[in-house]
Amino acid sequence: MVAKLTMLCIISSHGLNYRHSALLNRTKEIGMRRGILALLAALSMTALFAGGCANKEVVKSEEAVVPKEVIAEPVKAEPKSEPVKPVEKIAQAEPPAAKQAEKAAVAEVSFETVYFDFDKSDLRQDARNVLNKNADILLKSKPDAKVQIEGHCDERGSAEYNLALGERRAKSSMQYLITLGVKADRLSIISYGKEKPAVQGNDDAAWAKNRRAEFVAK
Amino acid sequence: MLLALFLVLPTVVFAESGIIEVTAPGNRTLKLVVDAPLPFETTPHVESAREISDVLVFDMNMSGIASAESRDLTPSPGVLSLADTDFMPWMTGGYDLLIRSAYRIKGEELTVEFRMFDVLNHKLLTAKRYLGRTDELRRFAHSFADEVLLVITGEKGCFTSRIAYVSTQSGNKEIYVMDWDGYNPLPLTRNGSINLNPDFSPDGREIIFTSYKRGNPDLYRRALSNTAEIGLSNRKGLNITGTWSPDGSRIALALSKDGDAEIYTIAKDGSNPVRLTVSRALEVYPGWSPDGKQIAFVSDRLGKPQIYVMDADGGNVRRLTTSGSYNVNPRWSPKGDRIAYSRSQGGFQIFSIRADGAGDTQLTSEGSNENPSWSPDGRFITFSSSRGGGPGLYIMRADGSGQTRISKGKGGYSQPAWSRN
Repeated sequence: MVAKLTMLCIISSHGLNYRHSALLNRTKEIGMRRGILALLAALSMTALFAGGCANKEVVKSEEAVVPKEVIAEPVKAEPKSEPVKPVEKIAQAEPPAAKQAEKAAVAEVSFETVYFDFDKSDLRQDARNVLNKNADILLKSKPDAKVQIEGHCDERGSAEYNLALGERRAKSSMQYLITLGVKADRLSIISYGKEKPAVQGNDDAAWAKNRRAEFVAK
Repeated sequence: MLLALFLVLPTVVFAESGIIEVTAPGNRTLKLVVDAPLPFETTPHVESAREISDVLVFDMNMSGIASAESRDLTPSPGVLSLADTDFMPWMTGGYDLLIRSAYRIKGEELTVEFRMFDVLNHKLLTAKRYLGRTDELRRFAHSFADEVLLVITGEKGCFTSRIAYVSTQSGNKEIYVMDWDGYNPLPLTRNGSINLNPDFSPDGREIIFTSYKRGNPDLYRRALSNTAEIGLSNRKGLNITGTWSPDGSRIALALSKDGDAEIYTIAKDGSNPVRLTVSRALEVYPGWSPDGKQIAFVSDRLGKPQIYVMDADGGNVRRLTTSGSYNVNPRWSPKGDRIAYSRSQGGFQIFSIRADGAGDTQLTSEGSNENPSWSPDGRFITFSSSRGGGPGLYIMRADGSGQTRISKGKGGYSQPAWSRN
């Protein structure tokens, strides 16, 4: 009966997604989110938004989520899921992330990454859902933590303009957290433009994973 | 590295610059030949001789003023003087201009003498002698090529200039500098961090660049002769795309300390920031006009990045680029008439446009090409390109012709910045 805190670890910053347990009891308590389905939907939807403004094609490839449940959200296109291959690819490219993920998974809740449309810094619904979760961590389970929000862009676009755009993404996330009650002095931002991609690759799937704001505990 | 330059003794006649008295039928390019350099008072150094020829031929061909080749038609007479030069073989070959040279190598000491002749009229046009070290051989040949251009066109060449750039050959982005033709690459930073967008001071003695080495994109300055990296601007947020004013007194850059990225100028010691742009949009990548009175820059105030021009005090903002939906990287020609920039059309292409907004011309079409930078004489543009298994650094003439790869290695090259002298 005790509402035990179970772990939800998503190492989205490196594109690896795996879960240790299905639910946080706290999602019920907060009551403003739609829980795991929404989260998986959000993460799956990031790949489908990968085309963004500059590319009129509908995204056809699925990104590296391991879906244990069918996505019920209305989506732009039918996803062709290839859950196993991309995960392995990314696993090979980012072994340190796996180690880090394990450490974090064993320890506690981690901040999740927010994703963006091409050339945009506004927050989609899935982005706001993630930020709600991150705010929660900051307000409840880690009330003393400070976080640096890193803004990133995909490899297209001018390197210099992307430094400014990445900063806007970080700021956008920061401002939203502040409206949720997180104190501004706990938050700082930095932009890396397109200098630090999370995923190597020249396709929509890779680009979608690189247009992001990451939350790094300081 | 001192360049010791001795003028040849007064018996040699120097031609008037600007006009060359060669009658070439029609408008064909001048044909220039480089005779095999002669050893004097020294054993022959085949490699050095070849290098002298190669530098002269490359520089002259890139210039577009003459088509150049090296030949070895005459047996070595041992003397460079006009009286001892047999012009017959060169006239038969159809050449207009002849460069003869002689070199002496004694240990580390190098002497090179060059003479350029008008083949048809059997005239000496110019001559130079250089004395220095053996590792200055290329520089001496480049310097004579500058002189050749001065004699033929009235405008000195830029062949002793250098290009700073970013390379990932060490694993991360560091700043390097090389000769304009890609030789003698030297690392300038080695801090293991992310280093971006170098820019030369007008006197060629320093570079500025952005580095994350202290955990934030800050602007640093470094003298070429000294390894110290001195912080110039470490204000909160971005301190990026710094570029020196033509008179060396101020630096324009993008700072986001007051909100979003905007264009400011700071004094050359980093103090006294003056804000130039005020908008809710992002502004980056300023580029000064050669008279220092205007600044081109990138702004996304209409949604996507376009290039604008303003007065150096921030007034009188006007839009420059009206074609294409994503235009960045403005760089003003030292001649003042045109601005080179990069347009995204999927990949990037280099364009140049007149400063009044007319005459928009596409210069590249192969691969993806970014960050154009002009040579100090405005004759050439360097840029990065993904073509041919890139990314490498290229040069081309201002009209887009003669696109030639200059980066030699495999080091992920980007963001070239040409020196201003």
